[in-house]
Amino acid sequence: MATKTHNPTDDIISNATRYRRETGEGFYDTVLESIYAEAASIAGRAVRQREDEPAYTLDRTIDRIVTSRIFGFPIMIALLAVVFWITIVGSNVPSDFLYLILVETLHPAINQFAANIGMPWWMSGLLVDGAYLSVAWVVSVMLPPMAIFFPLFTLLEDFGYLPRVAFNMDSLFRKAGAHGKQALTMSMGFGCNAAGVISTRIIDSPRERIIAILTNNFSLCNGRWPMLIIVATIFIGSLVPGHLAGLVSAMAVVGVAILGIGLSILISWFLSQTILRGEASSFSLELPPYRPPRILRTLYTSLIDRTIFVMWRAILFALPAGVVIWLVSNVTVGEASIADHMIGWLDPFGLFIGLNGIILLAFVVAIPANEIVIPTILMLIVATLGLHELGAGSGVMFELDSVSATASIFHAGGWTLLTAVNMMLFSLIHNPCSTTLYTIYKESGSVKWTTLAAIIPLGLGLFVCFFVAQIWRLLA
Amino acid sequence: MMESAIHPLAAMLITMLVLGSLTIFFYPEKGLLARWKHNRKNTERILIEDALKHIHHCEYNQVNCTLHSIAGHLSTSGDKAARLTGRLHSLGLIQPGFDNINLTAEGRSYALRVIRVHRLWERYLADETGVEEEHWHLHAEIKEHEVTLAEANRLSEQLGHPLTDPHGDPIPSSTGEVAERSGIPIGELDSGAFARIVHIEDEPQIIYSQLVALGLYRGMQVRVLEKTNEKLVIEADGNERILSPLFANNIQVEPIRHKKEVQHHFATLSSLKEGEKASVVAVSRKIRGQQRRRLMDLGFVPGSEVTAMFKSAGEGLVAYQIRGAMIALRRSQSDGIFIHPVEDESNDS
Repeated sequence: MATKTHNPTDDIISNATRYRRETGEGFYDTVLESIYAEAASIAGRAVRQREDEPAYTLDRTIDRIVTSRIFGFPIMIALLAVVFWITIVGSNVPSDFLYLILVETLHPAINQFAANIGMPWWMSGLLVDGAYLSVAWVVSVMLPPMAIFFPLFTLLEDFGYLPRVAFNMDSLFRKAGAHGKQALTMSMGFGCNAAGVISTRIIDSPRERIIAILTNNFSLCNGRWPMLIIVATIFIGSLVPGHLAGLVSAMAVVGVAILGIGLSILISWFLSQTILRGEASSFSLELPPYRPPRILRTLYTSLIDRTIFVMWRAILFALPAGVVIWLVSNVTVGEASIADHMIGWLDPFGLFIGLNGIILLAFVVAIPANEIVIPTILMLIVATLGLHELGAGSGVMFELDSVSATASIFHAGGWTLLTAVNMMLFSLIHNPCSTTLYTIYKESGSVKWTTLAAIIPLGLGLFVCFFVAQIWRLLA
Repeated sequence: MMESAIHPLAAMLITMLVLGSLTIFFYPEKGLLARWKHNRKNTERILIEDALKHIHHCEYNQVNCTLHSIAGHLSTSGDKAARLTGRLHSLGLIQPGFDNINLTAEGRSYALRVIRVHRLWERYLADETGVEEEHWHLHAEIKEHEVTLAEANRLSEQLGHPLTDPHGDPIPSSTGEVAERSGIPIGELDSGAFARIVHIEDEPQIIYSQLVALGLYRGMQVRVLEKTNEKLVIEADGNERILSPLFANNIQVEPIRHKKEVQHHFATLSSLKEGEKASVVAVSRKIRGQQRRRLMDLGFVPGSEVTAMFKSAGEGLVAYQIRGAMIALRRSQSDGIFIHPVEDESNDS
């Protein structure tokens, strides 16, 4: 029966299509032009403009300095160093304080409580020495630097400096086939790579957004500075006379951070030559007028939006990691613990590339959060060498008060200068933490990109360590 | 110690060899694995779809389609082309005649589906990605066999249901209707005439690449300066370009009828020196899609006054003052904005 039921919407759609063809593609342009013309004529009647406001001239002066050929890059590096320095120095006291409460006071108290209620040793070990302690460690080490770094960063952003950084660095990123705004997402990654990956939403071209996501890991994140600082202080700082030690080890850390920037540009270039081929799409960058930052508001938003958000994810992943660390050091197979077995397997390869088995195992265990790499290494050295009088018990993460005590553990574990150098390189160039990987998966929606985001830096890190080790041995 | 087991030089050499061979095997697009995958994909379906496309192309351009032309187009032997045609016939997709091969209704709608995906994908690459112009067609040649109908419809919606591909060919609608292409070959213009390019043929690739290299793009205003049997001299965005008849045949234009639509200023924003002021005349058609909309939203519309302020350290970006905001642009964009210099009334120089 239904031979030809005439549908009235068909008529409308075919008419609309015909009109679209007739009006042509310049339609959007024409509408926009007439809106601007109208708006300009209204504004011309209603608004009077003052000539050369003083704020405007001041803005131009600042712009000329921070984007100048001579001072542009030095100012950027100096500001980066200052932000790092404030974060490192400023987070010492609150970190120690949190450590004192969460680890030194609460931890024995909870253990005591567990013993009092008659909890079996394995359960209290798993829950208190494993799960609780790793979360306590991550909170005390990670929260203060993040709570300092993010607001500082947001202040720079608010002031209007960050767009100028992107402005300065654009030619490098353009040559690498990347988006100019990658400079912004990269700096965000210095706080936390997961936050950096989320911030790539500001890049609208899909190809360049993936590049920004894949290379964000080369921004040295918060969780990785502590290990760099410790290792640089012990091994690099000791190479020079005492009064230079602090400066030289700080420069070593900044050097690794700059190497990371270089690598992120290099890998972006490599990606846009191969699997993500294409020209850098053009973009427009607004350089907003400088504004006095609103400090309280900045504190509030950066704490809520960034710090708490990132912290929560880190805790979620540190919890099971603590359980795993406790398990591998306390469950024995045959004569030795699982940790001993794994270190035995990993040692030959680890030593070959200038690291060692303990370091590799620590990086595997610390996939959930980079913060726990150093404590895991110290704990594993103590456990495998049986230096129990130094530690807090088998499979329990701890931090030693004095740098020299930490140094003696490293030396006991057979660390050399090569181990330290490769450790610093590998802490920059290895797979992202699971929080970041999970974020990459959420943002890209693709298993393929998530896998590549893990494999590229890991492969590159092993490669770099290998060559540094071989050349080191040739020259030694 | 472990170190002494293998000499460092030997270790480095072996690793380099292993990495080298892995690269040869896994390198994207050119590696052995990628080639093997590509060859395996070259299945019957792709041959069928490519043949249908070719026959449709013949019909659309009203030329005769033969076994010979099919074999040539698919770069395959006459025997294989004959076998393929037999297969198409048995599937009811074509109707072979004595001197011509025609599509059946079913075959035509199949061909249009493939073409729709191809052109939509080119449009997507042009508007939303940084893929270079020469590569659009090649990418789309692969994608047209992979994207499903539903995906194509979604893509079309996402792009705002575009009517043409970036070369100016009409995109068939989801119901299989395809508009007539407008315009005349550029060679038919008289000396002195103004026209706008509406279509640049993207096949063969070699000619298209050269047209792109000449800086020609769809939507560009051209003016015929000189016309002889051997060559056509045109003014394109203020530059003189010489076209051989072979090249000219691949360009279709639409004459500009109204004098007021003719654009006379071809200085670009990138030529503006620091501190100089100008007014925007037009945004070139080579800036497309999202980028074009974004620029216009920022105020780069005819009549806006723009001042060049300062360059970035690496010469990558230039900051411009426009409508009270400071906007930094890459050269690729400022090259696409035409300006007309204005006198600065305040005379501060």
